[in-house]
Amino acid sequence: MQSKRTLFLIEVAIFTAFALVLDLLPFLSFRIWAQGGSVSFAMIPIFIVAFRWGLKGGLLSGFLYGTLQIATGTAWIMHPIQGALDYPIAFTVLGVAGLFAPVVQRALKDNNHKLFAGYLALGVLAGISLRFVSHYLAGVVFFESLIDGMNIWVYSLVYNGSYLLPAYLINIIVIGYLFIKRPKLMLGESKDKQQAA
Amino acid sequence: MKSLILGRYFPNDSIIHRLDARAKLVAALYFIGLLFFIDHGLGYLFVGLFTLGVMYLTKIRLSVFIKGVRPLIFLILFAAMMRVLFTGGGEVFVSWGPFTISSQGLWVGLFTFMRFILIIFISTVLTLSTKPVDLTDAINALLKPLRKLGVPVDDFALMLSISLRFIPNLLDETQRVMDAQRARGVIFGEGTIVEQMKKLVPIVLPLFASSLNRAEEMADVMDVKNYQSGEKRTHFRQLTWHTSDSIALLMMVGLTAVVIVVNYTMV
Repeated sequence: MQSKRTLFLIEVAIFTAFALVLDLLPFLSFRIWAQGGSVSFAMIPIFIVAFRWGLKGGLLSGFLYGTLQIATGTAWIMHPIQGALDYPIAFTVLGVAGLFAPVVQRALKDNNHKLFAGYLALGVLAGISLRFVSHYLAGVVFFESLIDGMNIWVYSLVYNGSYLLPAYLINIIVIGYLFIKRPKLMLGESKDKQQAA
Repeated sequence: MKSLILGRYFPNDSIIHRLDARAKLVAALYFIGLLFFIDHGLGYLFVGLFTLGVMYLTKIRLSVFIKGVRPLIFLILFAAMMRVLFTGGGEVFVSWGPFTISSQGLWVGLFTFMRFILIIFISTVLTLSTKPVDLTDAINALLKPLRKLGVPVDDFALMLSISLRFIPNLLDETQRVMDAQRARGVIFGEGTIVEQMKKLVPIVLPLFASSLNRAEEMADVMDVKNYQSGEKRTHFRQLTWHTSDSIALLMMVGLTAVVIVVNYTMV
């Protein structure tokens, strides 16, 4: 007999650790800008948690990830509001992809790959779009405190778009491929259940 | 695990290292907030000297701190330049279109530069002198009031420590899988984005599968040991508050007083 809540807590924790590992490994990310903003694969485990456990898991994993970045000193904080928007908030909102968890799981169970890919793309798009908004606002807050009347809106848009757009495509492709190859990853079936079935 | 160090913790024996993580976290956050209220050169000079003093007390070489600034130096210089060029007032030295270089602007630029450097220095002091586990305990302690609102703070703390605990294991495992792939002739860090993505899948897939197994085993073990989420827990590592921690916080109050006095008396 296994408590589902304990499993949930541990799985989210380990996958979030995995996200940090993917971000730390130098070969596995492409740094586009010196000040962070890299196209890394860190979002993949967060999205996987979101699709496995739904909204709650996704949000929790994202928030945990943002907090871990601050705790391990990999975060760049120059302004209190920018710090909050760039780390805890930006990664927490990735979890909204979890709203699509039920439909994504059903499509995968029915072996409907087209529908599956469509929902997956929508979920990841929702998460990354909100992350974009968060980084975008963080950029505006940061530069607003420096310059008046410059095209900071455009700058923040271009800067954040430049790495989140490729990240979006990479995430959809990698996650889609992972799930189609190993549907077990997504459906969250425990060993016991499989043995019983 | 070879060259990969988690976080930036720099083990050492110093007054700053021995301070309670909660005191350091609160003081650092407060200090960064305070920096935004300084509007006089003398105030910056004072907090600057204070920061240098704290850095000296960590007994860590200055070059380690400078390294922390390096990735951001262009952004900081750019920000300071913007402030110089777009601030008027005082004696105007150069005026060209919308840009002016004035005495006021130069001061504001210098303040901006100082503020960013000090933010980086003080947060570097925090992360160099505090173990990530202690820092997460401190974050948890600060989040505790949220418990009253029904936020599962203890569950979150548990997750933070599990994550931190497993990062080295996962790094090890990742290295091993990558070595296995290298042995088969895969070269990492080369090729187009699409090629690199293809190399990623055979790394990530076994790792995900083993992470899932590990999570399940750990959950079983915790259930066997009768872990109940929501019950009161005791902790193996205890943070202890000393007089020096109270003094550190009092120094923040003192700094605030200095900043207020300087802001109001100097014009």
